[in-house]
Amino acid sequence: MFLTRSEYDRGVSTFSPEGRLFQVEYSSEAIKLGSTAIGIATSEGIVLGVEKRITSTLLVPESIEKIMEIDSHIGCAMSGLTADARSMVEHARVSAVSHNLYFDEPMAIESLTQSVCDLALRFGEGASGEEERLMSRPFGVALLIGGFDKLKGYQLYHAEPSGTFYQFKAKAIGSGSEGAQSELQNIYRNDLTLIEAEKIVLKILKQVMEEKLDSTNAQLCTITKESGYKVFNEEETKKIVDIIYEEDEEEKKRQEQEEQDEEDEDEDEDEDEDMN
Amino acid sequence: MSPQHGSQPIQHQFNPYSDNGGTLLGIAGEDFAILASDTRQSVDYSINTRLSHKIKVISPPVTKEMKLESTDIVGTKNSVLFGTNGFSADGDALTKAFEENWKWYVHDQNSNVETGFEFLNENNEEKESFMSMQSAARNVQHLLYGKRFFPYYVHTILAGLDEEGKGCVYSFDPVGSYEREQCRVGGAGASLIMPFLDNQVNFKNQYIPGTNSTERRKIEYLSLDECLKLVKDAFTSVTERHITVGDGLEIFIIDKNGVRSEYHALKKD
Repeated sequence: MFLTRSEYDRGVSTFSPEGRLFQVEYSSEAIKLGSTAIGIATSEGIVLGVEKRITSTLLVPESIEKIMEIDSHIGCAMSGLTADARSMVEHARVSAVSHNLYFDEPMAIESLTQSVCDLALRFGEGASGEEERLMSRPFGVALLIGGFDKLKGYQLYHAEPSGTFYQFKAKAIGSGSEGAQSELQNIYRNDLTLIEAEKIVLKILKQVMEEKLDSTNAQLCTITKESGYKVFNEEETKKIVDIIYEEDEEEKKRQEQEEQDEEDEDEDEDEDEDMN
Repeated sequence: MSPQHGSQPIQHQFNPYSDNGGTLLGIAGEDFAILASDTRQSVDYSINTRLSHKIKVISPPVTKEMKLESTDIVGTKNSVLFGTNGFSADGDALTKAFEENWKWYVHDQNSNVETGFEFLNENNEEKESFMSMQSAARNVQHLLYGKRFFPYYVHTILAGLDEEGKGCVYSFDPVGSYEREQCRVGGAGASLIMPFLDNQVNFKNQYIPGTNSTERRKIEYLSLDECLKLVKDAFTSVTERHITVGDGLEIFIIDKNGVRSEYHALKKD
């Protein structure tokens, strides 16, 4: 396995004999190291949420920007090498603005995602040597792109470094994505409200994050038809985080109570037995 | 000093433009729009052809079912009626350029992909992603302005239905300045017909009798029959007064059932 890999994993434009492009596959691995990002599409809007890894107490949390506005009706969350995402987001913004300029309408979400993926696939360009190379390697970042358009309503897309994209009702990417994705699968309903989705995103982040969730190490944004892209400030995030902890507390109490009750019942039974 | 043979060099200059005459007219009704033009194409005092087409129906495919409903349908309700008048070669080039953009737009929107999702747009209906009139107009502006320093020598008028199903007409100057209007005439007969339409479509200078010219007549939508009458009257009249207008009248009507066309003979003199 590793023997064949070492031969064919250097060039981005060379297939391995089994028909694989290792550099592209490795780029997906880079995303698995990244912080978790979650997106949910509901009939009321899109929710995107990311984990911020605060590596030092002296780090200013606001300086970590992993949720970005592409246009007033499109937002994106990222995981992986976030520096790579800058050029993707810039490309996306240019696409959205020029579509609006040329067609006097907001760009469709699918078209926008397609244009980002077109860029992601350009790592192979210039491999033959005659033209100038734009990219030396595939992007090491995956995007969750969500928004509203008049054609297909609310949509959430996952754009991979390989240049493929899929539409999802709910999707998690990054280091905690496996656990988060199965949790989303259990929890997702077609009639989720936006408020419910906001809570679900933070709840799942809380489960998969290594650090303890608070209002500074997670960030949310929503995209709705009415107010477009809106990113939550610390205060708004705190409200939801507080609710989650309160509910946890209540759940804990309830469980303790149940255990207590069970113990009581057991005791009762014991007593009954004793009586017999 | 009078010019004398040999006193100054004779200048030869290539003129890339010519004036092919003709007239183009668009009227928007409440739930329909009309785009009409004469079919003469001329240069100076010569007629190139008595049957040229200044209007192109840019339409999604017309289905068999639509053809069964009425046989004379030439386009769907999502069509853009694209008319150009002036230098016909430029008009044809512009029409072709727009047609290409229109087709690419449909591809880029991935219209044939099923959404496969429970909640779609506001009315939960699967919309077809054909270019709206508003988008078409903006795109034409860029086509025209893109040749700002060697312009398409044409007056362009688009007609169609807007996203609410209301009739709309967009008119352009040669370098892309545009406006949505209730009616517009372009080309040779513009100065003759436009004041007539101002009066008959937008009721300009019409006052309610007995108010001593203080109360204007309220604007209301004209019916299709009224509009067709105006169009025919306008073209028969301008044929009398302008040498480059005549031969035939081609009228395209777009409404919720699709696009129909009519042809009427005009004087050939």
